[in-house]
Amino acid sequence: MYRGREGQWAFFLHRLSGIAILLYLLIHVLNISAAMWGPEVSERLFAIEHTPIFRIGLVGVIAAVLYHALNGLRVILMDFTAWGVRLQRELWYGVWLLFALFFVPALIKIVPEILRTMGVI
Amino acid sequence: MQVTLKVMRYDPNKAAKPSWVSYQVEAEPMDRVLDLLHKVKYQQDGTLAFRRSCGHGICGSDAMVINGQNRLACKALVKDLTKKAGDTITVEPIRGLPVEKDLVVDMEPFFEAYRAVKPYLINDEPPPDRERLQSPEDRARFDASTKCILCAACTTSCPVFWVNGSYIGPAAIVQAHRFIFDSRDRGARERFQALAASTGVWRCRTAYNCTEACPREIPVTQAIEEVKRAILYDKF
Repeated sequence: MYRGREGQWAFFLHRLSGIAILLYLLIHVLNISAAMWGPEVSERLFAIEHTPIFRIGLVGVIAAVLYHALNGLRVILMDFTAWGVRLQRELWYGVWLLFALFFVPALIKIVPEILRTMGVI
Repeated sequence: MQVTLKVMRYDPNKAAKPSWVSYQVEAEPMDRVLDLLHKVKYQQDGTLAFRRSCGHGICGSDAMVINGQNRLACKALVKDLTKKAGDTITVEPIRGLPVEKDLVVDMEPFFEAYRAVKPYLINDEPPPDRERLQSPEDRARFDASTKCILCAACTTSCPVFWVNGSYIGPAAIVQAHRFIFDSRDRGARERFQALAASTGVWRCRTAYNCTEACPREIPVTQAIEEVKRAILYDKF
């Protein structure tokens, strides 16, 4: 593994989260288009989305969308300002700060509900 | 003190794949990795192949992956790579270019990209009586990119270049930057042909490995972003 620094990991996670979002979007579109075969098929497919494993996956989708959006803003600043590249490392830490700010409340709201349906709490 | 020099060795005539070989070397803290490679080659195994010329960070021959990062062997000091005696320093060939033997890679794809950006002054206007004058401010505009020694440390640290060898690479873009932002040059649009192609600057995903790797401390990503903007704003 090449020992790159923050920029390499920012790029790597951006690519990974982008692929994850794309995959989710495909599943999502397929799921919705199942309505073509009537409400029974559609309902049965949507039931899968309420299984605990899928809901945990959706928490991952939230994380991917958040990171991709916030780091995307960082990329825009680097591409269109004279100072963005110079401050790329600080900007990346800013991305994580904002990420935590949005993601922690989402976790507090969602995770107990998932655990409740699983009967853990 | 003793250090272990672990080298990724490859001889296409003997083995299908590269493999690690370790050497015990006596080293001083202020020795350079190049000195350790010399000690191995002169005293332990004369078949070790690597490139070096000036040995002082100017010729750009001895870029290698040292402890997982691209550096010049002649500028990497033992004291910065080890904590105590007995520690291991790893040396691999730079990535993304075909390995010919041990640490020697085929640099031709790299120089092909270099030539593609036309790295020379282009100006068809009749020259003035004495010389094409330039103000100190105009000269300063591209000062950083004049420092490139074409060692390929930046290009071969780029994750995009590893997986897509047709990407023109940071070094060629820095060389283009040196002329595009030169007030005496008129060839920007000619260079944009190679730079705005699908294998050009837009492949850059700002991973910053190039900037971290540059032994001349050129702000490589900054230069690439400036070239991207020059191409973009040229369209309007």
